[in-house]
Amino acid sequence: MVGMSVLRSAAAFAARLSPLKSGNNAANLLARTIPRTDKVAVRWGHGKKMFVVKPTDFYDRRFLRLLQYYILLTGIPMAIIVTGVNVFIGEAEMVQTPEDYEPEYWEYYKHPITRWIARNLCDSPVKDYEKMMAAIQTEKEKADMRLTQLEVRRQMRQKGDGPWFHVDTLNKEFIDHSPKSSPDH
Amino acid sequence: MPADYDKGAYPEPPRQTPAVDKQTALPNPALILSKLFYYSVDLPVTTFRDAVDSIRANNKIVYYHQKFRRVPNLTECQEGDYVCYYEAEMQWKRDYKVDQEIVKVVQERLRACHQREGSSYVQNCAKEIEQFAEVSKNFQARYGDLGAYASARKCLMKQKARMMGTEGV
Repeated sequence: MVGMSVLRSAAAFAARLSPLKSGNNAANLLARTIPRTDKVAVRWGHGKKMFVVKPTDFYDRRFLRLLQYYILLTGIPMAIIVTGVNVFIGEAEMVQTPEDYEPEYWEYYKHPITRWIARNLCDSPVKDYEKMMAAIQTEKEKADMRLTQLEVRRQMRQKGDGPWFHVDTLNKEFIDHSPKSSPDH
Repeated sequence: MPADYDKGAYPEPPRQTPAVDKQTALPNPALILSKLFYYSVDLPVTTFRDAVDSIRANNKIVYYHQKFRRVPNLTECQEGDYVCYYEAEMQWKRDYKVDQEIVKVVQERLRACHQREGSSYVQNCAKEIEQFAEVSKNFQARYGDLGAYASARKCLMKQKARMMGTEGV
């Protein structure tokens, strides 16, 4: 009897030490309950916990993150500036032009940002107009000159009395008359 | 608040609200709804606008209407005077824009009249309808099929065709 209990306690000790060995099944050791450390009840709340296998969305989320960042980098300052201008300065009101006053060219626009752009970045429309007319005048003069040149060429070639289309006459002293100076040479 | 619209061009119809003649002790739902709308929408919006206007009052800016001098037309230019052609072309472009806006204004008046009169617009808006028909007919006759690259020369040629009776042939 004592030997039996010793054997049983030895078996229990062996089972505790190496629980995975085939002979050490807890079901064989009837009376004594042995703490099994490998089969513990793990509680994760309720519901079956799944390891979801899906393809990576790292690159997509990184792209959207970077897109958001670079858009907002200039978007937020622009939004603040435009809101500030609209709240603190506001659009212009149309008034009758005073009698003796010539408005500057940017004073013909309504929104303050348009006025600023017209004043600092753009040229006055009058200047553009005059530049275009100057270019047209230059081209017209060039075209007229070319036409007159053609006309002059035509006249000089036809009449032959002008400085163009001259064929210089040879110097008569350089003609060698010796082959014809005596008959029957 | 900004200036009101032109009451002469868009006349309001006479008010047909009858005098209040309450015969029940029950509250009027229309009144309740209008008060609700006033306190939830009208009042906040008006106070916000007044606040912003008071901030803006220190930085008021004005703008003017630009009037262009009249220059000789394309018909009054010498042949080969390209500078004159350019100025006439610019003037024609400005006049084209002005005519487009005129048509838009007349159209807007017709739509407003239609909205006002409801189902009896055919009789009550006869003047606006006739005005719009005439304006759009003239616009079509003058600028009709010139296309996107319209210019003063093409318009002049169209006018010549119209005068000769060859247009549409």
